[in-house]
Amino acid sequence: MDSIIELKQVSKTFKDKKAVDRISFRIAKGSIVAILGPNGAGKTTALSMILGLLEPTEGEIRVFGKPPKEHSVRHHIGAMLQEVSLMDRLKVREVLELIRCYYPNPMDMDALIAMTGLHGKDLNRYTEKLSGGQKRNLGFALAMAGNPDLLFFDEPTVGLDIGARRRFWDQIREFAKQGKTILFTTHYLQEADDAADRILLFHQGALVADGTPEEIKSVIVKRSVSFLPMEDGSEFRRKLASNPVLSNFSEQDGRIVIHTDHTDQVLEQIFAEKLGVREIAVDQGRLDEAFEQLTSIQEEAV
Amino acid sequence: MATKMLIKQCKIELLRVIRNPYYVFWSLLMPVIFYFIFTRIIDTGGDMKEWGAHYLMSMTTFSVMGSSIMTLGIRLVQERTEGWTRFMQVTPLPGWMYSFGKMFGQTVMHLISIGFIFGACVLINGVSLPPLTWVYSALWILVGSVPFLAIGTLIGNMKRVDTASGVSNAIYLIMALLGGMWMPIETFPSVMQQIGKWLPSYNYGNGAWDIVNGHAPDLRHFLILLGYLLLFMVLSTYIRKKQEVV
Repeated sequence: MDSIIELKQVSKTFKDKKAVDRISFRIAKGSIVAILGPNGAGKTTALSMILGLLEPTEGEIRVFGKPPKEHSVRHHIGAMLQEVSLMDRLKVREVLELIRCYYPNPMDMDALIAMTGLHGKDLNRYTEKLSGGQKRNLGFALAMAGNPDLLFFDEPTVGLDIGARRRFWDQIREFAKQGKTILFTTHYLQEADDAADRILLFHQGALVADGTPEEIKSVIVKRSVSFLPMEDGSEFRRKLASNPVLSNFSEQDGRIVIHTDHTDQVLEQIFAEKLGVREIAVDQGRLDEAFEQLTSIQEEAV
Repeated sequence: MATKMLIKQCKIELLRVIRNPYYVFWSLLMPVIFYFIFTRIIDTGGDMKEWGAHYLMSMTTFSVMGSSIMTLGIRLVQERTEGWTRFMQVTPLPGWMYSFGKMFGQTVMHLISIGFIFGACVLINGVSLPPLTWVYSALWILVGSVPFLAIGTLIGNMKRVDTASGVSNAIYLIMALLGGMWMPIETFPSVMQQIGKWLPSYNYGNGAWDIVNGHAPDLRHFLILLGYLLLFMVLSTYIRKKQEVV
């Protein structure tokens, strides 16, 4: 029973649209997991169901082995939702104190204040007077107010600059080291790759891939080896076609491109067969390109 | 733990009420200014002493009705559309405590309004009533505000703050006017009088007027207000159910 979150065949249908389609996964303690997918892939819907904000149409969800709506579950979770909103006409310190008092073992007030990055006078400012960045920092501190074991972030770094982004993820890694579990959504492949140790790839409401960033990349990235043939002709092409490792090829700007999952094997074969080729180039595939392709397919379908 | 949470929640809602400049202006100053104009500047004829007490109740009910419909409704929409309500659902704060805090804030707000307007009107016109009449009328105004809080909750289901504020403004002003809170309903054409008598605002105000005149509020006022309360509650439940399905 080391899985903190467990989903079994969970679906959510809004009117006639299936937002989440029979998803199952388990999340282990202390992991940083990204739900990755283009807009409209069902990421936020899935997150909302795990948080108990939405009821699944079908299937079962367990958080700490209990239904997410159970009161005791809320003592151990913290969340920063997509739009950080704050109660107005309250001072920064008052909001922090308010949320802290909801939890049995809240985080230390000084630690929370440090997370907001606000000092002295700013702590006595009204929340509606804060800048966008300050609001997000306060939202982050509010998510941490109960010293939660499980953290949810919905698109946490949208609108943050590179420095703030790095600080955010450094902090998250620190929490994971302390044994906290983190689940976040993003539509940036790069971010999921950098921050997560596991990626759940969502596509049109379904879970299409689940694994480490390396594994996910090997699924969606298209690798190839290309070269210029020294002597072109049907003979050369016949040679390629008859070799199972090289047979999947096409032509691009005079170059022959061999599509493969294993570029090393292709190179081996080229040398073993002593093919007359020059200017060999190995393309390990571009992540964002592959991901964009996935996104555009989705948009066409809509 | 639970008691501490509840007290904190109430304290926070109260702070937010007091810090709201719109409340201070619309619910406290406006009714007093109206009172001053209609009892001191414009000569309405008739018994000034009786009119002073009557209009005092008009303005207090007007004020409390306003904060029930507008402040509560708009605030609910705001907190929901901005995502605060969702955030609160993730915290261990029970939903009933959240609502209780809101209602507590509203009630204290109404008490402040009643005290402030009563006091200001005594200063302006030297209105004097038997002590128990003050207490009864304050109680009536406080309890009678419940159906209007239900209207506020209904408005709280709206999707946009702009719509909510427009609709609640319109409901508020039309009800105040037709319910005889600005001008006695007897000065209206008879058709409007007929409509006005069935509005919650008229029955709310008239209950307080009855108390000032030295007798208990007519049972009819009580029943009509209760009927509206039930109607709004049923509507509210229906709307919430419908929204959950989507």
